[in-house]
Amino acid sequence: MTGPGRRHALGPTPPPARGGPSEWRRFAVNRRAVAGLVLMLGLGLGALLAPVLSWYDPDQQRLTGVLEPPSARHPMGTDSFGRDVLSRTLWGGRVSQAIGVLSMAVSLLVGVLVGTLAGYCGGWTDSALMRLTELTITFPTLFLLITLVAVFGASLPLLVLAIGLTAWPITARVVRAEVLAQREREFVEAARALGAGGLRLVVRHVLPNVVPVIVVAATLRVAYVILVEAGLSYLGLGVPPPTASWGSMVADGREYLFRAWWVSFFPGLFVFLTVISYNLVGDGLRDAFDPRMPASR
Amino acid sequence: MRAYVLRRLGQFLPVLLGIALVTFAIVRSAPGDPAALMVDVQLLSEEELRRFRDELGLTGPWPLQFARIVGELATGRLTSFRTGEPVLAVIGQRLPVTGALIGGALALAVLAGIPLGVLAATRPYGWLDHALTVAALGGISVPNFWFGLILMWVFAGVLGVLPATGIGPTTALTYTVADMAPYFVLPTVVLALAIVPSIMRYVRSSMLDALGQDYVRTARGKGLSEGRVLYRHALRNALLPVVTVVGALLPILVGATAVIESVFAMPGLGRLVVEAAVNRDYPTILTLNFLTAAVVLLSNLAVDVLYVVLDPRIRLE
Repeated sequence: MTGPGRRHALGPTPPPARGGPSEWRRFAVNRRAVAGLVLMLGLGLGALLAPVLSWYDPDQQRLTGVLEPPSARHPMGTDSFGRDVLSRTLWGGRVSQAIGVLSMAVSLLVGVLVGTLAGYCGGWTDSALMRLTELTITFPTLFLLITLVAVFGASLPLLVLAIGLTAWPITARVVRAEVLAQREREFVEAARALGAGGLRLVVRHVLPNVVPVIVVAATLRVAYVILVEAGLSYLGLGVPPPTASWGSMVADGREYLFRAWWVSFFPGLFVFLTVISYNLVGDGLRDAFDPRMPASR
Repeated sequence: MRAYVLRRLGQFLPVLLGIALVTFAIVRSAPGDPAALMVDVQLLSEEELRRFRDELGLTGPWPLQFARIVGELATGRLTSFRTGEPVLAVIGQRLPVTGALIGGALALAVLAGIPLGVLAATRPYGWLDHALTVAALGGISVPNFWFGLILMWVFAGVLGVLPATGIGPTTALTYTVADMAPYFVLPTVVLALAIVPSIMRYVRSSMLDALGQDYVRTARGKGLSEGRVLYRHALRNALLPVVTVVGALLPILVGATAVIESVFAMPGLGRLVVEAAVNRDYPTILTLNFLTAAVVLLSNLAVDVLYVVLDPRIRLE
C-alpha cells in the first residue's frame, strides 16, 4: 500500500493516469467493494440464467401446494397460488434489473448532457440548467411517478422513461462540477490554444477525464433506480401481472405475512442484496478513483 | 435579507404554476375519458353526457380548462371526481397523519444520525468508522416496504407487542392520542431509517472538517478534555451545515410516505396520492402535487434563511 504521504520532491504530484492499474489495485484491495462486485455479478448472472436455473415454471399454479414453507423441493417455499417462490424470484430479477439498468442509461444520458452543457457553457445556460436541476431534486418525484404510471398505465418503456427522467439531477450536478474543474486544467488550455474548440474540446479532452465520475454516478444510480422500481411495483404500479417483479411479489405476500413470511421475505431480500451490491461497488469505485483517500479495507 | 426572501418568493409562484401545468398536461394527455370511469357512457344521452363533462370541467379548449382548474384550486372550490367532497377538506383530514409521520421520522433521524456521525468522525478510517460506513450503505439499500413488513411480522406477528396496521384501535369508536401512538412507532422507524445514513455521513464529514480547524487545535492546546473538544467546540460548528441536509431530505421523506402509508394502511396523504392516481381523480392528484411542491419549496426557503440566521459569516446578495 502506498501511503498518502509520498510526494515528489519537486513540484506538485502529477495526477496518476486515469483508469490505470493503480485504480484497479485500489479497488481490488477494498474487501467491501470486491464483495459487492461478486454479489452484483452473481445476481446479474442469476437473472440471465433464470430459464436454466429455475426448477419450475414461474407462472405454474399448483392449487394442491399453496403456501408451502421452504423445503428441499421448494427452497423458498410456495406462494398463495402454489407457485415456486425461488423460480419467480429468479425470473422477477430479470424485470427489476433490466428496468434498473435501462433507467440508469436514460438518467445518465440526460444527466451527462445537462451537466456537461452547464459546466462547459457556463453563464446563462448554466444558471437555467442548474435551476431546473434544483427544481427536479426538490420535487417529491415519487408522487409524480405515481401519477404518470397510474394515468398512462404501466408498461416497461414507460417505467424506464419515467424513472430515468426523474433520476438524472444528481448525475448532472457531479458531472457539472467535474467539467468545471477539468475546463481550467492546463492541457485543456493547451488544446484550446492549439485551435481545438467547442464540441471537439469537450468530447476529446474534457469528457474522457470525467469518465470516472460518470462511472461512479452510474453505478450508484442503478441502486437508487432499482429501489424506486421496487417501490412502484409494490404499490401495484409496476410491470403488470402476471409478470413477476420483486416489488409486486412482496406485495402479493403481504396478506399472508403472519402465516407464510417467505412469500414476501425472499423477493425483498433480493432487492436489498442487488441494491447494496451496486452501492458497495459504486462506493468502492469512488474511493479508488480518489487519490486523496487512504485505501479502504 | 428581506430583499432575498422577497426575490425567492417571487420565483416561487412561476415555479408552482409550472408544476401545476406539468401535472395538468400529464393527466389531460392520458388516454381514456375520466367521465367514462365514473358513469356508464352508453346509458347517458349525448346531451346528458355533455352536461356531465361540463360540470367536471372537461370541456372547452385546454388553456381554459387549466385556468379554470387553477382558479378553483386557488379559491379552494375544487372537488374530488370520486366523492364530490372538496379536495382541501379531504387533505385537511389526512394531513395530521402524514405530518405526525414526517415530523416523528425527522426528529428520530436527527437524534440517531448526529451521535452516529460524531462517533464515526472520532476515529476516521478506524474499525468503527468502517462498520458504520457499511451499516449506512445497508441502510440506504433496504427497500422501505420490505423493512416495514419485516418489522410488522416481528413486532406485531411474532412478538405481538405493537399493532400491525391502521392508526387506532378498530374496536373503539373514539380514541385518544395515547391510544394512537403505538400505531405510529413502526412506520416512523422505517421512514427514519431511510434518512439516518445521509445525516450520519453528513455529520461525519462536517465533523472531520471542523476537527481540522485552528480553533480545535487551540482548544486541545489549552488542555481541554477530548469530550469537551468534540462536543462543545467541534460539534457546535459542525452542526451548522447539517441544517441544509435536513431540507434536502424532505422530498425523500414525503415520497416515502406513499409507500409506508400503504404498507401500514394509514389514511394519510401519501396513500391519498396512490388512491387518487389509481382512480384518476384528477382534481385530487393536481391539488396534492401542487401543495406538496409548495410545502417542500417553502421549507427549503425556510432552511436557507435559517442557515443565514445561524451563521452570520454567510452573506446573501
